[in-house]
Amino acid sequence: MKNLILVIVTLLCYSFASSSGDTTIHTNNWAVLVCTSRFWFNYRHMANTLSLYRTVKRLGIPDERIILMLADDMACNSRNEYPAQVFNNENHQINLYGDNVEVDYRGYEVTVENFMRVLTGRHENAVPRSKRLLSDEGSHILLYMTGHGGDEFLKFQDSEELQSHDLADAVKQMKEKRRFKELLIMVDTCQAATLFNQLQSPGVLAIGSSLKGENSYSHHLDSDIGVSVVDRFTYYTLAFFERLNIYDNASLNSLFRSYDPRQLMSTAYYRTDLYQPQLTKVPVTNFFGSVMETIHTDSAYHAFSSKISNSKIKSDMPFDQLSDQDVKEDLQNGNNQNDELKTEKQKCPYSQMRADLHEKLKKIENVDTVVNLSIAVMILVVMVSSSLL
Amino acid sequence: MARLVLTWWIPLLILQSFLLAIAFGSNEVEEEFNEALLLKPLPDRKVLAHFHFENRAPPSNSHGRHHHLFPKAISQLVKKFRVKEMELSFTQGRWNHEHWGGFDPLSSMNAKPVGVELWAVFDVPHSEVDTSWKNLTHALSGLFCASINFLESSTSYASPTWGFGRSSDKLRYGSLPREAVCTENLTPWLKLLPCRDKDGISALMDRPSVYRGFYHSQRLHLSMVDSGEEGLGSGMVLEQSLTVVLQPDTVSVEKHLQPSWSLSSLFGRKVVGKCVLAKSSNVYLQMEGLKNADPEKTHTLWKSAEFELSIEPDRTLRELSSFLYIFNIDKSSDSEPFDLGFTWKLPSKWLCKQAPLHASRFLMGSGNERGAIAILLKATESPERDITNGCTIKANVFQIFPWYVKVYYHTLQIFVDQQQNTSSEVFKKINVSPSTDKMSSGMMEMMLELPCEVKSAAISIEYDKGFLHIDEYPPDANQGFDIPSALISFPDHHASLDFKEELSTLPLLSKFKDKSLVRSYTEVLLVPLTTPDFSMPYNVITITCTVFALYFGSLLNTLRRRIGEEERFLKSKAGKKTGGLKQLLSRITAKIRGRPVESSSSSESPEAAQSSVLSRKLLFRIMLVAVAAAAWQYFSTDK
Repeated sequence: MKNLILVIVTLLCYSFASSSGDTTIHTNNWAVLVCTSRFWFNYRHMANTLSLYRTVKRLGIPDERIILMLADDMACNSRNEYPAQVFNNENHQINLYGDNVEVDYRGYEVTVENFMRVLTGRHENAVPRSKRLLSDEGSHILLYMTGHGGDEFLKFQDSEELQSHDLADAVKQMKEKRRFKELLIMVDTCQAATLFNQLQSPGVLAIGSSLKGENSYSHHLDSDIGVSVVDRFTYYTLAFFERLNIYDNASLNSLFRSYDPRQLMSTAYYRTDLYQPQLTKVPVTNFFGSVMETIHTDSAYHAFSSKISNSKIKSDMPFDQLSDQDVKEDLQNGNNQNDELKTEKQKCPYSQMRADLHEKLKKIENVDTVVNLSIAVMILVVMVSSSLL
Repeated sequence: MARLVLTWWIPLLILQSFLLAIAFGSNEVEEEFNEALLLKPLPDRKVLAHFHFENRAPPSNSHGRHHHLFPKAISQLVKKFRVKEMELSFTQGRWNHEHWGGFDPLSSMNAKPVGVELWAVFDVPHSEVDTSWKNLTHALSGLFCASINFLESSTSYASPTWGFGRSSDKLRYGSLPREAVCTENLTPWLKLLPCRDKDGISALMDRPSVYRGFYHSQRLHLSMVDSGEEGLGSGMVLEQSLTVVLQPDTVSVEKHLQPSWSLSSLFGRKVVGKCVLAKSSNVYLQMEGLKNADPEKTHTLWKSAEFELSIEPDRTLRELSSFLYIFNIDKSSDSEPFDLGFTWKLPSKWLCKQAPLHASRFLMGSGNERGAIAILLKATESPERDITNGCTIKANVFQIFPWYVKVYYHTLQIFVDQQQNTSSEVFKKINVSPSTDKMSSGMMEMMLELPCEVKSAAISIEYDKGFLHIDEYPPDANQGFDIPSALISFPDHHASLDFKEELSTLPLLSKFKDKSLVRSYTEVLLVPLTTPDFSMPYNVITITCTVFALYFGSLLNTLRRRIGEEERFLKSKAGKKTGGLKQLLSRITAKIRGRPVESSSSSESPEAAQSSVLSRKLLFRIMLVAVAAAAWQYFSTDK
């Protein structure tokens, strides 16, 4: 019986430890970049998205880990004077479309339904891998969205809306399915901050281009193309990233501080209450690039196991043994498990305390004296408190 | 002793197996890749560039074979979905049959309908064809970054029986006229080539130049070649071609002179060497309509009074109506790039060979309720036609109708030379599968037999416009809906280039030498459908709610309100004095809220209130101590 309780406690601790997400290390980076606007006059939204696409590719996220959603074809649009080219600046120095662009969802495929499917990973069987977000519990995901929005919604294709509740639900589901370790949501729309109101999941960081009641404005107009080519928030984000390369250690905090409300003509909003690490210590390449922490290993596997917290590895052990071996060995292992539990005190304090109490209660023979003593203590407390009144 | 024998035998065995492997390896046909570029000046001052890449994988019996050149993505596709033959094309622009030709293998194979067209023949049981098709469309959409997966729904594809020119009951055909074609489609297509776009002829494909053209069509054709041997699988042939019609940038000296061009002026790049993995790598230049060309002096033809080439061709071939100059790009290198230039010296005019009938299609009628589709076939100036009695032109028409275009097949009419014709004379064969609402698209296949001296033939058919559910409209519903192109093919006419030479080493030309069915696609039609007011649900809800609120509000007001009663109540309230119980209640509530008592209870002195509170506290304390003492007593006596 005692053993059973101990096993349950260790299992509880194990699940507690692994679900907290602290023990998993950052193993890969993903980016979901969404342009939700259709029609030529929304050229700037596609340019925004493609600029981010270019940036994250430059900083090391490979194409197969980027889900790019473009609601319309601007590059080969008949209105475009520069076929197969998209620019985000009047000077036309960088062709964002390049020679090697992979668009995963485009045109009519960019719908709220498909967006939610990508996030939650609930696809039809036939959907190819290149259209899926195959992230895991060690993934850092950058979710960038741009388009036209309002109070707690973002318009898709001028015909449907993604509401803040939908986004929060999707993120919650992702968290429960262990589809990310950390998630950075960056939104460039009017009243972007309102889109984050319903978020609750831990590990989520959100940046919006404007507060409630504010508009996000475009940066400048290209008279050759005939429309605005970039939005202010994205323009200054890019200005920050153009100075960086893959080895730079600029922190998220420096990115947040780089936004100047006078330049943006709106107030950038950061929601950091769901995110535990200190922003000054998190490099931007954690989300915008694919820079992994390098762990030096002397031998093949030891360094890795020491990196992950000890408890996880050790608490695995008794469970395996129990399932494989017979009862006699179980009893022998009992001592071992007690040792294990000591290491776990920090991980699972409540259940540990309960178990300790239970043990102590069993050892005591004279229950009555204990009860009497405790009542005497209570009376003393009562007297002291009444005199104080 | 036995051990000694063994030690002798083992190396021998190894050597033998090694030799055997070598022998088998040499028996096997290698995978092979060929690249070619055909350039052709067009009569309307444009230049056609046709890139052609052919990848062949020989038949093999092993399942997990390795490919050296053949793209793995495609071979996996073939294995998984059991594709027997497949063609996928991405096109923008419309092929100009009048000026760019309608009766040569190039146009019959590469003039494609706008958007995406996909057809595939499967090698699976009948019941599984539709699932295979669905999975194939999804796989291709992932591979080529396009929304080909929209073809999976049964409302967007059809299974033609004979009208398509390929009779198989496991054939599926679908097209997406509005699909955009751009760099993201070309890039994965180029990644299937062994040299990608890094080397060889494909390095010419500068994206802005390609997409600036008047017409670009990117095609991928996959077919299985049966080995004929038992136990051996089938080989695969993957043909990839890109056809571009470009306008050379010219500073025209003379108005009538055709523009001169070079590879670098068309593409902004030069060929700096062949793809080393290619077996053959050639550039062809096809000249049509050379009038005063002397067939004997083919070797001097590249520098004539009419035009001049910047590089001497390696070989010149003569065809019935055209000349072909063949260039080998093996010699080109970084220091000496291949940049073919073409200069016109004299104004020149020529005509392209035309298909027997020129097809166009248009909409008739007005309003949002009904309309009619007309296909007009006009006779062209085809030189091959001998107008004798009894001669006929056969034409097949294949057409898919989306379900929301509800066609009435009994209204099918044909006018031959503007005279209405009884159908049985002209319609030889007709096959119709009507559409089902929201379930399947309609399909029409017709075989017409027209007399050779016909000037024009017009087919018309009437339709009603259907209604879609509000959720089924695309985001830009006001733009209208597309009816995919109709395909007109001429089963008795075959186009081919007629060379006398043996051309097995030049795959592109040997392909042109084979007869291909003459076919042409009509325009895509844009049908405006009635679109609902998309804000209607919202409006309806708000208006209904307002009406209901007004109605019930006023109704309840008149039913429930009693004015006399209210007045009496007010009067009594004013006259009544506040009772002691009520005062107590109000004081308790005030205490709970933490505010001073606001009622008339101020008559009571504050000291009194304070003393009463104090006394209550004291009483409570005494009671507590008493209880504690009793408990103590109880437990101590128990012992």
